[in-house]
Amino acid sequence: MRRWAPWLALTVVVAVALVIGTTDRDEPTEAERVQAIARTVACPACDGQSVASSDAPAAANLRADIERRVAAGQGAEEIRAAYAARFGDHILLNPPRTGAAGLVWVIPVAAVVAAGAALAVAFRRWRREW
Amino acid sequence: MRSRAALISAAVLGVLAAGFVFVLSTAEPATTRKADSPLLGKLAPPLVGADYDILDSAGQWVLVNFFATWCTPCIAEHDDLVAFSNAHALAGDAQVVSVVFSDDPDNVLAFFAENGGDWPIVLDGDGRIATDWGVARVPESYLVAPNGEVRAKIIGGIEVGKLEQLLAEAKATS
Repeated sequence: MRRWAPWLALTVVVAVALVIGTTDRDEPTEAERVQAIARTVACPACDGQSVASSDAPAAANLRADIERRVAAGQGAEEIRAAYAARFGDHILLNPPRTGAAGLVWVIPVAAVVAAGAALAVAFRRWRREW
Repeated sequence: MRSRAALISAAVLGVLAAGFVFVLSTAEPATTRKADSPLLGKLAPPLVGADYDILDSAGQWVLVNFFATWCTPCIAEHDDLVAFSNAHALAGDAQVVSVVFSDDPDNVLAFFAENGGDWPIVLDGDGRIATDWGVARVPESYLVAPNGEVRAKIIGGIEVGKLEQLLAEAKATS
């Protein structure tokens, strides 16, 4: 039992942190929603800037459009999809989760799982050697 | 040994220089550059101004030109747009429509009074039209077929000869 106690404590801490982090939040205001979406849309006339941080006319147009769409009740994914349909997928700073671009999301998770598995095997081997 | 190194260096430099010349000679021209767009092959987004609706142009080819008077390539392409518009005015098979991108309407009116151009001008004060068409920067133009389908996106300035060629190709594949 003493052997598992640290792991149990770690699991409890992580679970509590996740619950607090995902549930104990105030509803974002409309301005916060606009800003959050603007941070995930690339300025079409700039390199590496979001429309939230660019002063280019196209970015200003998109910020105003996001405000209109949020006020009209559109959700973040609906708005982002509308821009991808006009400008192309490169307008999205968070790549889509489907198709070849979905690999961007899958590969890091697979790498973490593989690294964890490799560590587990290595620890077990070292323990046997000791 | 030293002469062989010099020979290899000269050969590498020669290949690099030849590659540079090849890239320059086969690169897309600086004007009338065709670009990809999700709108290609789809119906044109709405384009409605105070005195113009793109639906009024059904049956004609329309060059939708996003521009601003503060944009140097836009000023440079204007004579070519006038030439294109004049060449097709009699036949009535194609027309130009300008959409003002982030500019003062008074500046635009003064610019047309000084430089000519007798075609519809659509103001886009809130940038909604530019966003609907996926415009990143000016000048940017779209060639719309008589059935309302977007057939080409052109980034950068227009050169009338290349635009005529683009129109001919688009007509041939209609």
